Amino acid sequence: MFLPRKNVDEREMLPKSAGVPNKEITMIGANLFRYKACPGGSCVPSGPAVTLAMLVLLLSLAFPFARPLSALSGSAAHAADQADQYEGKKAEMVASQLAGRGIENREVLEAMAEVQRHLFVPENLRRLAYGDFPLPIGHGQTISQPYIVAFMTEVIRPAPGQRVLEIGTGSGYQAAVLAELVAEVYTIEIVPELAQSANNRLRQLGYANVKTREGDGYYGWPEAGPFDAIVVTAAAEFIPPPLLQQLKEGGLMIIPVGSPFHVQHLMLVNKEKGDRVTTRKLMPVRFVPFRRAE
Amino acid sequence: MNPSPVPTLRLHFSLALLSAALIAFQLEQMQALAIVQWHHFAYLIISVALLGFGAAGTCISLFQETLLRNLRFLLPLSMFCCAVMMAMALPASQGLVAGFDIGLLFLDPRQSLLLFAGQLIYLMVFFLGALPLGLVFIHYSSRIGSLYCANLIGSGLGAVAVVALMYVLLPQQLPGLTALLPWIAGLLVIQRRNLQLLIAGVMSLQFIIVVIYSPLQLSPSQYKTVNRTLDLPGARISASVPSPYGLVQVVTAPALRHAPGLSLTYGDEVGEAAAAVLNNGDWFGALRTGERKLLDSTIGALPYALGGRDRVLVLEPGTGADIAHALYNGAGRITAVEPHRRAVEAVVEWSDREGFQPFTDPAVDLHFMSPRTWLAVDRQHYDLVTLPAVGSFGGSSGLFALQEQYLLTREAFTEIWQRLGPDGVLRVSAWLDSPARNPLRLAATIAETLDGVGADFSGHVAAVRGWDMITFVVKRTPFSPEEVGLIRGFCERLQFDPLFLPGLDPQERQRHHFSADRDFLDQLDRVVSPRRPEFYRDYEFTVQPVTDNRPFFSQFLRWKSMPHLLRLFGERTTPFLELGYVLVLISFVQMVLSALLLILLPLFRLGLPGSKGVRAWIIPFFSGLGLGYMFFEIVMMHELVLFFGHPIFAAAAVISALLIFSGLGSLCSQRFTAGPTNHARAALLVSLFLLLYFFFLQPVLNAAIGLGMGWKISVFLAVVAPPAFAMGMPFPLGLAKLGGYSRSQAAWAWGINGCVSVVSTGLAAIIAVEFGFAAVMLLACLAYGMAALAGRRTEKGVMIS
Repeated sequence: MFLPRKNVDEREMLPKSAGVPNKEITMIGANLFRYKACPGGSCVPSGPAVTLAMLVLLLSLAFPFARPLSALSGSAAHAADQADQYEGKKAEMVASQLAGRGIENREVLEAMAEVQRHLFVPENLRRLAYGDFPLPIGHGQTISQPYIVAFMTEVIRPAPGQRVLEIGTGSGYQAAVLAELVAEVYTIEIVPELAQSANNRLRQLGYANVKTREGDGYYGWPEAGPFDAIVVTAAAEFIPPPLLQQLKEGGLMIIPVGSPFHVQHLMLVNKEKGDRVTTRKLMPVRFVPFRRAE
Repeated sequence: MNPSPVPTLRLHFSLALLSAALIAFQLEQMQALAIVQWHHFAYLIISVALLGFGAAGTCISLFQETLLRNLRFLLPLSMFCCAVMMAMALPASQGLVAGFDIGLLFLDPRQSLLLFAGQLIYLMVFFLGALPLGLVFIHYSSRIGSLYCANLIGSGLGAVAVVALMYVLLPQQLPGLTALLPWIAGLLVIQRRNLQLLIAGVMSLQFIIVVIYSPLQLSPSQYKTVNRTLDLPGARISASVPSPYGLVQVVTAPALRHAPGLSLTYGDEVGEAAAAVLNNGDWFGALRTGERKLLDSTIGALPYALGGRDRVLVLEPGTGADIAHALYNGAGRITAVEPHRRAVEAVVEWSDREGFQPFTDPAVDLHFMSPRTWLAVDRQHYDLVTLPAVGSFGGSSGLFALQEQYLLTREAFTEIWQRLGPDGVLRVSAWLDSPARNPLRLAATIAETLDGVGADFSGHVAAVRGWDMITFVVKRTPFSPEEVGLIRGFCERLQFDPLFLPGLDPQERQRHHFSADRDFLDQLDRVVSPRRPEFYRDYEFTVQPVTDNRPFFSQFLRWKSMPHLLRLFGERTTPFLELGYVLVLISFVQMVLSALLLILLPLFRLGLPGSKGVRAWIIPFFSGLGLGYMFFEIVMMHELVLFFGHPIFAAAAVISALLIFSGLGSLCSQRFTAGPTNHARAALLVSLFLLLYFFFLQPVLNAAIGLGMGWKISVFLAVVAPPAFAMGMPFPLGLAKLGGYSRSQAAWAWGINGCVSVVSTGLAAIIAVEFGFAAVMLLACLAYGMAALAGRRTEKGVMIS
């Protein structure tokens, strides 16, 4: 603590909490901190201690501004580090969560490796983006677990030239993955905020072959149909008849069934010839009952 | 310096008000938190927060001299603070609670912190409320009988009052009013003018008034159906109706559609529902679920494929879709039994606006009661009995694992079988889940019911599968070949697959709907076969039928399967762990650890039991009382739900009667404080009562279930009053005995009783799930027996501390 030199005026400036007698204060503060008499009677502190204090003050004021400055030179390095980290996590995700669990379609794996999942999750959850679990994106919705996205994508057998409809854009991640694999993706989201943010995100990331629409997915996208495949992420207790009508013969529809944080199973709907529709219940994890010895 | 004595009447009245407020607050916050999150989350918060009682006991035990010395000041001050905390608890915690994300609980450590912070806020309420109670008990231990009586009767009346208020006030309006009670209680115990107390009183009143006039709007979790529905464009809440069953909300939204079990062949428009009805933010049903053609194209139309059904019994009709379906198919007489009156009233009001009036059709006879109670008293026979679908679309992650479902027990199915006419059918559906649980348990229940009545499963049961649902139809008489043909035609037309049908070719079972899980059909076959006990033993989940003693249909968790499930699913095991049950276990562990800490902490000052004059009987005696009382209360609520047929009425009746009669017993106990072991004798008397009830309670209630309400209330009082009266005695007698010896130990004993009472609620739930309610009753008997044995020890000594 810098204490003022004792004189009649300076004594009044002694902090009340100072426990050091005035004599000692005088000796301690003799050369470090002195007051210069100024015109008009005001006192201006000066001396080496004052100079040091001013420097410290200036530096601390400058620090918030220094951060962006350092960001210009250092942030690029920081961003590069982060990007490397995400790439590393993404590669690990593809290897362990996808390929390691039986996702075999090479194009799907490449698509999952290409799409930057961390840009589709809220910023405060980016560190978890490549984890083996779904994450909340607001409005009670989630971005699906990477394995489920890959599984669903693989199951509908995407191919170049195809046209795919997605009901429930959410974050846009599934649409982005599909966009890496097919010619056109049409995606509908009923929640306006989600539709807007997903659209902006997909545009910024350059997914020109994804067309987004804000609206009721019940009616599908009749003017763009029929579709080679339909992904219904916003599942309801029934399959809307218009969606079945907009599915091509031989087309596949995939519906994940479950609550926001876990997928119980997937329903694969196959529209066969003559309007015959069959379904197949798929489990993302094969439940193998423990067989006890007979 | 001893404070001058407070006039007796004011003190008793103050305690009664405070006690009423505490129990009212507990019940209303359970509902409010259930709206914001789910019932299990509410339980997690409140159950731990109730340890505030135990914490108050520990605090008094440790700082008894200082606290009692300042009693005159502390008593009103703590009541004022309690009042403020009551008013502010929900607003203070709302940000935490609403921000709590149950899906991230096992991923993000911060969620645990939010949960803990919420528990802490509520714990402060109960701590501040219990502190003056404990101080009064200790300081005026010579009058413990009447004081405890005031405490119990106040609690009983508070429970009744809050249930009544829940019919008229919205959940967010209740805390402010409740907070007035401890505030008035604090006012009553101010003995002389004190500026600080005056300031505290005025300031606390200001807070309370603000909350009363500007109650905080509840913010449900984003994952609750209400918020998901409100996200739809144009959606809004059109009506909110309070009730003890839950807050009923009618939400209108243009894009709302509901058609469960709809065939994939249906090509017409699925019309928009007029509104969705939600209960505590969760789905209850939709209004105007479609025209006849749509309903006839659902899997639920299976019974009507067999021909007209004239007399129909619809159990838990919800928003009336099954009633409408029966009307469309020409039913002449429909009996509908629904316990949730407020929800139906909301449906009736909205249906009138839309011209869709299933409940008010002249052919419909509507009853508001538990369906099981109706089945017990009804003697009619029906052509069709319908139950609501079991499970839910997409699963519920086990959130309903601890919900008692009396309509799905073996006894219920047997009663339904008795109500079927000669060609009558029962229709019940189950949502498909993975791994299979609901359909298997439902099939097992049907199979065991038919075994019990001597009917052959293969001849009396048809089951049909859609893409997301299985529907069972159980016929009183065997299906005729014509009826089998009709069912096949139904399946072919609507592209469903028959799973059980007389003369079924295995190839028919998977023509339209397949499963990659090849074991599913085999599991279904095994669970309906005579070899099902082996399947029950071997399957990873527990799927045997539930009974009235253990009516937890949605509880499938089997602990010995955990290692295998964890190996299989890894960290994704969580949803299959029946989250509701897991949360009860987590809270139980939390409660036990906290209770142990609170119970053991005073020993650092008092010394070990048996040493330094510390009475060895304190822990077993007061623990036994706390355990036994709560166990008995929980069993009585379970038994009386079926008896009365109105769960809310039953709960309120049990809580209030138990507390009021216990209070009277406590008042009478003042005459018996002289005897050195009277507290043990009182505990023994209770133990004998409970032993008697273990054998005879249920038969008595079963015999009286068909009586009119007046007689039922008489039977109820005759059953509850004697043991409740006796239960009011041991605690004040024991506390009086201790109070005259050591106030610190008396405070400690009070804290032990509080801690163990809280732990008992979680323990009772676990025991009921694992072993049934009969085991809970037996343990209540043993707990009082333990208290009686412990209290028999007579120790000499004159310590006063």
